[in-house]
Amino acid sequence: MIDVLVGLLILFPIVTGFFCFTIKNYKVRASIIILTAIVLIISSLLLLSQGSFPIKYSPAPIWDWVIMFSEYALLAFLLFAGIRDIVRRGKFLHNILAVILTLGVAVPLAIFEFFQAHQIPLKVPSALFFDHLSVIMCLIISIIGSLICLYAIRYMKDHEEHLMHLGQLKATKQPKFFFFMLIFLGAMNGLVFANNLLWLGFFWTLTTMCCWGLIRHDETDIAITNAFRALWMCLIGSVSFAVVIILAWHSSLNSILLNDLIRSGAAAHSVLLIPFALLCLIGFTKAAQVPFQSWLVGAMVAPTPVSALLHSSTMVAAGVYLLLRIAPGFQGTTISTFVAVYGGMVFLVTALLAIAQSEGKKVLAYSTVGNLGLIILCAGINTPISIAVGIMLLFFHAISKCLLFLCAGTIEHYVWSRNIEDMEGIARNFPVLGGITIIGGLSMLVAPFGVLICKWGAMETATQTGVWSTLVLIMLMIGSGATTFFWAKWIGRLLCHSPVPGGAKREPFIPLYHGILLILIGFAVIFSILIVPVYNGIVAPSLTEAGYAAAFTTNYWFLKSSLGIFITWPVFVVIALAWVLASLTARAKPETSRSAYMSGENVEIGTDEFVGLGDERTQLKTGGFYAESILGEKKLLRFIVPIGIVFLIILFVLVMI
Amino acid sequence: MSTGWLIGSTISAVIVAPFLGGLLVGVDRKFTAHMQGRIGPPIIQPFYDIIKLFGKKSMVAGNAQLVFAYIYLALIIAAVVLFGLQQDLLMLLFILSFGTLCLALGALSVKSPYSQLGGNRQLLQFLAYEPILLLAVIPIALKTGSFPVAGIYKYGQALLPNLWLTFIALLIVLAIVMRKSPFDISGSVHAHQEIVSGVVTEYSGPYLAIIELGHWYEVILLLAVLALFWVGGGLWWISIIIALASWFILLIVDNISARLTWSWMVKFAWGIGISLVALNILFVKLGWM
Repeated sequence: MIDVLVGLLILFPIVTGFFCFTIKNYKVRASIIILTAIVLIISSLLLLSQGSFPIKYSPAPIWDWVIMFSEYALLAFLLFAGIRDIVRRGKFLHNILAVILTLGVAVPLAIFEFFQAHQIPLKVPSALFFDHLSVIMCLIISIIGSLICLYAIRYMKDHEEHLMHLGQLKATKQPKFFFFMLIFLGAMNGLVFANNLLWLGFFWTLTTMCCWGLIRHDETDIAITNAFRALWMCLIGSVSFAVVIILAWHSSLNSILLNDLIRSGAAAHSVLLIPFALLCLIGFTKAAQVPFQSWLVGAMVAPTPVSALLHSSTMVAAGVYLLLRIAPGFQGTTISTFVAVYGGMVFLVTALLAIAQSEGKKVLAYSTVGNLGLIILCAGINTPISIAVGIMLLFFHAISKCLLFLCAGTIEHYVWSRNIEDMEGIARNFPVLGGITIIGGLSMLVAPFGVLICKWGAMETATQTGVWSTLVLIMLMIGSGATTFFWAKWIGRLLCHSPVPGGAKREPFIPLYHGILLILIGFAVIFSILIVPVYNGIVAPSLTEAGYAAAFTTNYWFLKSSLGIFITWPVFVVIALAWVLASLTARAKPETSRSAYMSGENVEIGTDEFVGLGDERTQLKTGGFYAESILGEKKLLRFIVPIGIVFLIILFVLVMI
Repeated sequence: MSTGWLIGSTISAVIVAPFLGGLLVGVDRKFTAHMQGRIGPPIIQPFYDIIKLFGKKSMVAGNAQLVFAYIYLALIIAAVVLFGLQQDLLMLLFILSFGTLCLALGALSVKSPYSQLGGNRQLLQFLAYEPILLLAVIPIALKTGSFPVAGIYKYGQALLPNLWLTFIALLIVLAIVMRKSPFDISGSVHAHQEIVSGVVTEYSGPYLAIIELGHWYEVILLLAVLALFWVGGGLWWISIIIALASWFILLIVDNISARLTWSWMVKFAWGIGISLVALNILFVKLGWM
């Protein structure tokens, strides 16, 4: 059973991805995508129902050959792509660094595999490993990822029609787009299950390649530049993997299995301090933590399904997944303290940066970096509660953020703008879409939605740690206030509309847009209500498998730790009651509607005009608040990037001494 | 304490809190009038006002603002209930902040110059005080060992002697939440013509009454949080005196200071307020307090 599921989860999407590449017919391609989505969703659920985790799995020896061959083919392709770009567009910092770092992966890896290892290719047992943590990631990738691919079928059609209408596109590029999207899903599943570091490194680089291919999809100058920036920053991770493999192989452990490293632990084997610091660095680059945040922000030029899939719910989450996975390995070392403070710093600065952004997707990008920073903070605090809430945030963040990206993408196709100011009144003009976006936004910042349990758990458990946690707590609280601020003012823009009498407008229901958004908002609400079963079903077992004590005791009402109580569905009941009461007792009717107060100078009821200078009808304009002069990117990044670099230097100084 | 006693006191708190809140507003008006050389309204004028508001015909500027007004009141009552049941203080504050957020969102949902200004400023007020309010829970939890309010009762000592830095920071929070000078940024009972009524400009009749009621609950809840700084120490009436004295200090500050800008408010709250709590946390962690 398990070998069939491995094939379906990893190989099947890669194979169908190659099919998509060759098929020019829209309907046939759409059918293949739908088929892949169904297969992935069913296989991931079947894997969850396997029950007896952890499972070690050793694939047939031929696969070691396949992985080794693919690894060098992949690196050769990246090298070719970099050099081709240098030839075509000239030398830039980003494409030169991409070429150098590709060589930086290939050379040490080749030296290790062909000269140092005792067999070619190096065969180790249990190259794949399944436990609840990896299954949670697999569910996110296979279910949410598949939904995004389904959404993309419609999105890319509209996107290309718009570009063709503008005359910026001649022939469809969708085969290439879905080629990258589908093999990405397979690569991600491979990544979360890989235990052999060589395999992990290969899948890691494969996702980086997909990321590069998808960011440059529109092939504008800025898209290609940003794609190479993302490529070289993520390749730092691949280079580090090569170093970790060599160090781990030559250490007393003599193993390249991730599990062996974690089980030995850096606290007991100080020789592992540097490999663990490197693994943290790998996570930071993939999760676009400061100072690498620029690649994720730049990646927003890609079509929105790409941002939803790679840059919010799955690929960047792989970075924090790695941190959560190796957290038991660095427990009790200075790395752990460092990771907590670093995560807090990232959470704070990105929340401040997000306030000044007026482009919706950029706000989402900074918010993503910040939430991943929060998960990293949880991994660093390294108590059972913090790991539990970190895993839960990984899960809930993937749902809510993917939803918000898809909402932003859909709004973009209604108003043809990504600017928050152009989204004024969406809630009135497109009530279903606007309503989903607002609830999705609220699910990121208010109790009792699942995302909040992380802030709650992190704040409470941080009190149990050392004096350094004072700093972490301050960053967490200020960041938390700033996060609420930028979400609320965005939601305010969506809500803002003139008091016009008459019922709400209706919008056409598009299954591949609204249907998928409704499924995701359903996930966000239902899993928040069912947070107790979610904890007991998948989070508690992952804690046990990682060697942590149980974090919470549960009953029907709440999650309870030794420190406090998180109340779940009763709060939803209160909100629902208030909502129902409001709808029953109060409703804006034409006869009770009044225009906004404009000092008595309104032109007439039902318009947003007032009598201005010289008795002219003047339209009222309102706008959001951005504080750009204080918190703008130009102003803050000058400080933030050096701070991030200093932090990373401190990490390596800490482990060297 | 038995469960029955807890539920009983919670129900009475939900019933009594608005009366207390209204009374405090009445005294506030009378006191302010005297300071300004006026006679002022009767002390129970706020109740006359709210009864009259409930009786008025509803005039609305959109469905969203109504829904947010109801959720605002419901969540703040939920927070009061959690306080009465001696639940987790941090959870309670999360619910309270969702409530406060609804007030801002209700204001932002109407395209009106004054309502928009008030809503954005309400968010700025939130940005200024929220970190202090959440941080203030930490030293309490460090001292008592857990986050539920019940732990503070069981602690057996007054918190104030060790946590007076946090207490002062909470006074800043209270002043911002009550929109008292110098923090009456998002709306005010005094006439500020550039914002009119700020955050509540577009609310009228019964819906304004709902918001007013919610605000009374909110102020009473925060005063109750201040009273927690003594409840473990015996002599229950000292807790009440501490809460009332804090409120009275804010009245005096309100009457003797002018309104300042939002940027000053954020700087002051973050600079002074957060530093006070941070020092308190540090001192408790180091065992000095």
